[in-house]
Amino acid sequence: MSLAVFGLLVTPAGLIRRGKSGIGVGAYAGLAGIVIALVSTIWLGFNGGPPILFGGFQIDLFTYFFAGVLLLVSLFVAISSFDFMKGDPNTAPYFGLLLLSTLGMIVLAASMDLILLYVGWELMSVPTYALTAIRKKDPNSNEAAMKFFVLSALSSALIVYAISLTFGVTGSTNLQTIAGSLATITPDTRSFALIAIVLFVAGFGVKMAVVPFHMWIPDAFEGAPTTVSALLASGAKMAGFAAAFRVFIVGFSTINVDWYSTFAIVAIATMTLGNVAALMQKSFTRLLAYSSIAQAGYVLIALATPFTVTTVTREPLGLAGGLFHVLNYSIVKTGAFVAAAAVATRLPVNTLDSFTGLGRRMPQTAFNITIFFLALAGVPPLNGFFSKVMIFTGAVYSPFSWGGYLAVAALINSGFSMSYYGWIIKRMYFDDPGDSSKIPEPKAYTSVMWIATALVFIIGIYPDPWIRLVLSVAGSL
Amino acid sequence: MAAPTFLFGKKRTNVAKLLGVGTTATVFALSVIIVVLFQYGSTGFQFTDTASWASSFGLNYVVGIDGISLPLLIIATFLCLLAALGSRDMISLREPEYYALFLLFETGIIGVFTSLNLILFYVFWEVVLIPMFFFIGIWGGPRRKYASLKFLIFTYAGSAIMLFGFVALYAWTGSTGSPSFDYTTLITRAASLTLPLQVAASLATFVGFAVKLPIFPLHTWLPDAHVEAPAPVSVLLAGLLLKMGGYGLIRYNLLLFPAADKLLWPAFTAIGLITMVYGASVAFVAQDLKRMIALTSVNHMGYVLLGTFTLTSVGVSAAVFQMFAHGLAVGMLFLMSGYIHEHAGTRNINELKGLRGKMPTTTVLLILGSMAAMAVPGFANFISEYQVIQGALSVAYLYGLAILAAALTVGYFLWMLRRVVMTPPAGPKNELRTGPLLILTAFLVPLLVFGVYPSPLLGSAIKPTVDHVLSVLFPGGR
Repeated sequence: MSLAVFGLLVTPAGLIRRGKSGIGVGAYAGLAGIVIALVSTIWLGFNGGPPILFGGFQIDLFTYFFAGVLLLVSLFVAISSFDFMKGDPNTAPYFGLLLLSTLGMIVLAASMDLILLYVGWELMSVPTYALTAIRKKDPNSNEAAMKFFVLSALSSALIVYAISLTFGVTGSTNLQTIAGSLATITPDTRSFALIAIVLFVAGFGVKMAVVPFHMWIPDAFEGAPTTVSALLASGAKMAGFAAAFRVFIVGFSTINVDWYSTFAIVAIATMTLGNVAALMQKSFTRLLAYSSIAQAGYVLIALATPFTVTTVTREPLGLAGGLFHVLNYSIVKTGAFVAAAAVATRLPVNTLDSFTGLGRRMPQTAFNITIFFLALAGVPPLNGFFSKVMIFTGAVYSPFSWGGYLAVAALINSGFSMSYYGWIIKRMYFDDPGDSSKIPEPKAYTSVMWIATALVFIIGIYPDPWIRLVLSVAGSL
Repeated sequence: MAAPTFLFGKKRTNVAKLLGVGTTATVFALSVIIVVLFQYGSTGFQFTDTASWASSFGLNYVVGIDGISLPLLIIATFLCLLAALGSRDMISLREPEYYALFLLFETGIIGVFTSLNLILFYVFWEVVLIPMFFFIGIWGGPRRKYASLKFLIFTYAGSAIMLFGFVALYAWTGSTGSPSFDYTTLITRAASLTLPLQVAASLATFVGFAVKLPIFPLHTWLPDAHVEAPAPVSVLLAGLLLKMGGYGLIRYNLLLFPAADKLLWPAFTAIGLITMVYGASVAFVAQDLKRMIALTSVNHMGYVLLGTFTLTSVGVSAAVFQMFAHGLAVGMLFLMSGYIHEHAGTRNINELKGLRGKMPTTTVLLILGSMAAMAVPGFANFISEYQVIQGALSVAYLYGLAILAAALTVGYFLWMLRRVVMTPPAGPKNELRTGPLLILTAFLVPLLVFGVYPSPLLGSAIKPTVDHVLSVLFPGGR
């Protein structure tokens, strides 16, 4: 059933390839494809479907959840691209690649088989290399694409190696079968499984922006066209998390190896480095990049402490919090990058100086950035607060003795992150710009920002249905 | 109770002033109705209102008031009304935004004093923070940018640590029943936690509340924020925002963790004592009238900490009453400093010469306000400070040292008055208009009424509740 969704995505993508009539046909077709796919995903999400391709695709609530999130990101990127790509000769391929990459992400989230997972991984990654380099004349864009490509290719290689090791140990590429065989693993093959785990962490880590595999992020986000950065920061990264959730929670949950504490250490390193480095940035996109690294750290906590264990029940509280944060983060981060794109197209310099007095120069953009930043910092009653609270509660509540310390580290980080978010808000509203002339704010950006802000408030003020949703999604995994 | 909390939409029109003042007045009227309808002498929560909010995660909208929150609720609505009235004269920039944020602030502060769910409390707690950041940053004085950012980072970091206490409480009490953030559920469960867990949670929440209160050495945001904030906002800051810390200490720290209280009270009271003496000593050297008043807050909030952790009924009741009285006194002084600054052109204590010649009526009010802050008998502050010291002395004679802080307070106020009032006048007469004078006088009325006859509030609202909760908390005495 969901293949229909994928089909709907691909068809317009093909159309665009042929019709190179400027921004018109291709872009609108792409947009329509995303909207149709999003609507059908939400609609189908309430029905569910059988496993497809001999269990290779698992079309469960988890798939629908991630498909929904990723399509939403893709939609935001597409709408804002209407202005961002205006006048660019490569509009049609741009939208085609955008759709292809989105399709790859959804395949990734749906796959229950490691081979399909790898197919989805590549389908997601390859178009993004081209998207990063779509401004052929811009050396920054090209350099970013090269860096991104080399590291990303390395991560693909690591994943392939991890897959082959896993196959060698368990004799299967299906995650559920793998989970079965890993439960009864012998000591001599155990070390191979360990290597596979490490390689998976490294491979996914490159996309998830996890320390120490984060180095490409700031450069790529800064060099790539800003709307593409939005796709990389929200879409590709969250798809990486989807893969990690599937592989670790389903595949490796039975193995008697403590990979949880590994994720905990990586989570602390990621949060701390992201937050500290963000404070020193002079460019807005780099600041966003480091803040996205920090946010990845919070989701990693969910991987480290996915389940709470009480005397009676085992509830996926942390995992649900992580998924909730994926949703919230995607909305907010895409919105923030779109805002950055709006500023970048209207103001020549990409330094933080452009943001001085933005509250007067671009009031809508500045207001929305403020909301996004407060949500990222976790100020209630905005959406980011509730997912963070769930993650932190899950950490304290977990059966591990270090859960409490992890939560403390995360909360200190969360408190600290306010310093750079507040610093930008201060710049936008309290500082006087030298030139306080108004700057036009195109609808393509503002509409996306307002939708994102509306979602931030809707989810934040009445989070109950969303919490129920992520709890059942986490239960379905 | 939901009515006052949810009455505010954010109103942004050209008649922002009218709406701002009108709404705060309506809310004050509603709170007066609550005061009238309140069942004095009963100890439970009244006017409770419950609604399902995010019940899948133990979050519900639960509000209610008891004898501890009642005085704070009245003072919150009262000060908001007076500050809104004062803002009409002092705020002339971006008024719609100002009043919208003002009402958001009031929503938050009422929510803080009434919510009975830990996360709901935290939500309101932060709702207060954000408008304050903008108040200081946009409408503040010359160093507003520095002060606002410092304020934001200090208090946000503090509340993040506080949140850990809440989250941990949810998780650690989850083994004895379905986990919950509900205050009334937790109050019975938390007491059964082991001592190390109680101490950990207690210390975490203490940090959050202590930053707001503020205690020495976490107070450094306070003088900057108070000095840079516009005068009506300083009223809210000193009158209400600091009380959030005090209220939190009593409502959460004191009442949730009895075993931790018994272990930690010497440390907490010692911090309180140090804060009192430190605040008073630093206020001596302040040159700016507003900075001096800000530092008296540090001085006076030390009493709240000391009183609370004497763990005696007298001390805790007096701490609540102190918050009420200090909110009024310091609110009046701050608003007055704003008016004086506008009329005399300076807030420097050494340059404000001969105020009695220039602004005779204001001078009388300044002296009366200072007397209240000095805790002269007849003012409500006397009763609260006297009882805090009484409670402290009943625990250990060492706390007689608190008298020293009281003496220092009198000292710096009198010295300030000597320099400001008792000097030869310079400059022509420039008295305030009747409106502002009436606003300032309004602060004095409850101070004097409850100073002479405190029992309606202290005796029949605060004391029974405190007696009750303490007897539940420490069945065998402290």
